[in-house]
Amino acid sequence: MIKVKNLYHSYSKDDKYAVKDASFEVEKGEIFGFLGPSGAGKSTTQGVLTGLLQLQKGEVTVAGYDAKKFSKKMFNDIGMSFEQSNVYNKMTAKENLAFYAKLFDVETKDPQELLELVGLGDKANLKAGDFSKGMKHRLTFARSMINNPKLWFLDEPTTGLDPAIAATIKDIIWNEKKNGVTTFLTTHNMFIADELCDRVAFIVDGEIKLIDSPRNLKLQYGAKFVDIEYIKDNDSARESLSTVEAKDRNRIKELLDTYEIQTMHTKEATLEEIFIKVTGRGLV
Amino acid sequence: MKLWYSFTKELKLASRSFYFYIELFFAIIILVVVLFAIPENFSNSTTEYLYLDMPVENAAAFEARLLDEDSDNTADKMEIKIKKELIPVTYYETEDRKIYLVESEDDLVKLADNKKQLGAVIKVDMSVSPPVTSYKYYLQGYETDRLKNLYKVIHNSNLATLEAAVEDQEVRSLSTEYTVLSDREHTIPSLLTFNGSLMGMFIIAAYIFLDKEQGIIKAYAVTASSVWQYLMSKTLVITVTSIVTTAIIIIPVMGGKPDYLLMLLFLITTGFFASGIGLLISAYFRSMAKAFNAIYVLMVAMMLPAIAYFIPGWEPFWIKLLPAYYIIQGFSEIIVKGGNAGYVLLLSLGFLAAGSVLFIWATAKHKKSLTA
Repeated sequence: MIKVKNLYHSYSKDDKYAVKDASFEVEKGEIFGFLGPSGAGKSTTQGVLTGLLQLQKGEVTVAGYDAKKFSKKMFNDIGMSFEQSNVYNKMTAKENLAFYAKLFDVETKDPQELLELVGLGDKANLKAGDFSKGMKHRLTFARSMINNPKLWFLDEPTTGLDPAIAATIKDIIWNEKKNGVTTFLTTHNMFIADELCDRVAFIVDGEIKLIDSPRNLKLQYGAKFVDIEYIKDNDSARESLSTVEAKDRNRIKELLDTYEIQTMHTKEATLEEIFIKVTGRGLV
Repeated sequence: MKLWYSFTKELKLASRSFYFYIELFFAIIILVVVLFAIPENFSNSTTEYLYLDMPVENAAAFEARLLDEDSDNTADKMEIKIKKELIPVTYYETEDRKIYLVESEDDLVKLADNKKQLGAVIKVDMSVSPPVTSYKYYLQGYETDRLKNLYKVIHNSNLATLEAAVEDQEVRSLSTEYTVLSDREHTIPSLLTFNGSLMGMFIIAAYIFLDKEQGIIKAYAVTASSVWQYLMSKTLVITVTSIVTTAIIIIPVMGGKPDYLLMLLFLITTGFFASGIGLLISAYFRSMAKAFNAIYVLMVAMMLPAIAYFIPGWEPFWIKLLPAYYIIQGFSEIIVKGGNAGYVLLLSLGFLAAGSVLFIWATAKHKKSLTA
């Protein structure tokens, strides 16, 4: 669905690249996570893929269209949810969606149904300018689905949402995957990526450091640990020990034989820990 | 159809926006000023302060002649207060002159100076034979050389000969279809140019900068609709607004006199041209604040022809290089009875062509910069 080969992009049109030699492919029906801290090059890459930024160097194909000459028809198959909500404040939620529906040449979703889907059904006739930040974000998200996109670009889709609404959004994304929709998810939220993505790419300073599935990354980079809580000298003690290293394995045996164990949990490395381990950078 | 949807959406947004009501308010203000502050015709009456430096008998003869010409054949004795001083005068009023006779040259100078009007001393020298009449003028300093030369000609020629020569001259009008605009109507072309066309340039740029600021353009850019449709929908809204605001001004002032079909055509083409300039500005700048200088300079440059329009004696050649000059000329031809429709059609064609070039240029530039 997306093919990117040796992509470079510089805002100053010199050798200060925001994206450097990026290459990756996204398969049909896949949820592909593009992960990195702020300023890593995520939005720039997404900008080139959606035609918001001109292709300067490299080869990019999106939904079968060459980025050198994107056709407006392509956008009939594409949906885009922006991190910054950008709806018409002076129009109602329903008017916003109804207007955008008319800008596509394909069958579109019913605005009211979409608003119900994102929990704004009862706010359909309110002006978007009166919405909270989270509500505007949901409206922007709903708008990205209006044309039944086959390829869906989501930029931080759960940012600023409360956990219950964020869970609803995740369910919607998951359901769309079941319908065969390909999703390009840009985020710095590793929990979302871990839950939703088939594969993730780590991008730092414009360079892709690694691409793999969250499971493979955990198997490859995540050392397994056991958290043990036990009673020692009438007091509670706790240790986190590796299940791989010999010294720690012996210690686990010793604790089990010697002390009264209160709790014992296995623990996998998080995607965020792996990101830090691989890139040497945090996500902020 | 997408253009139609975008247009109706823009119309809806405009009706809910601040700028739309500014335009309507401004049109109403112009109408009120034109109807109530600008007289149908400005008064042609001149005010003169005169001192008669001549023997009593000559002065009496002069005053008798003034009395004959006076509208109520009465000489009014009055006092004019200058600062704290009261100056006695005798007042005569004819059809086109207000004449104040004063009692000394000092009083004359004070009045001419304070009232900023013409003062003249008419002197008859009886010491020579035959007596010689001379005139001394106190001017304000801003009078043109033409006027000064006219005074010289009048006082160095035989008045009877001059009058006879003027009477003998035959003046024939090439066209008898022309009607002369009243002073109030004369202000209309420049006001329409500013309100109908140039305001459009500013407002369309404001609309686009607002969309840029709110990120709405990015959302539009990832739809199956084209940039030109987005820009054209804005242009159409500006055109509709301009037609409405022009109607608010022109109908109460001019009634059924103008050729409204021609005016509609001219409004559309000049509005299209002015919108094209606004679109270009919004393509080359990121925000209203950054574009302010460019907009200001353009607005001033476009308003200069209006100054030339009101001061016929000032019309440097470069004024004719400014499009607003031709917009004013076009509106003049439309509102005057028997105006040159062919000239207006030619101008409309020119503005349509120039507007098309600007629109294509702006679309190409916006494609590159709309989302950046």
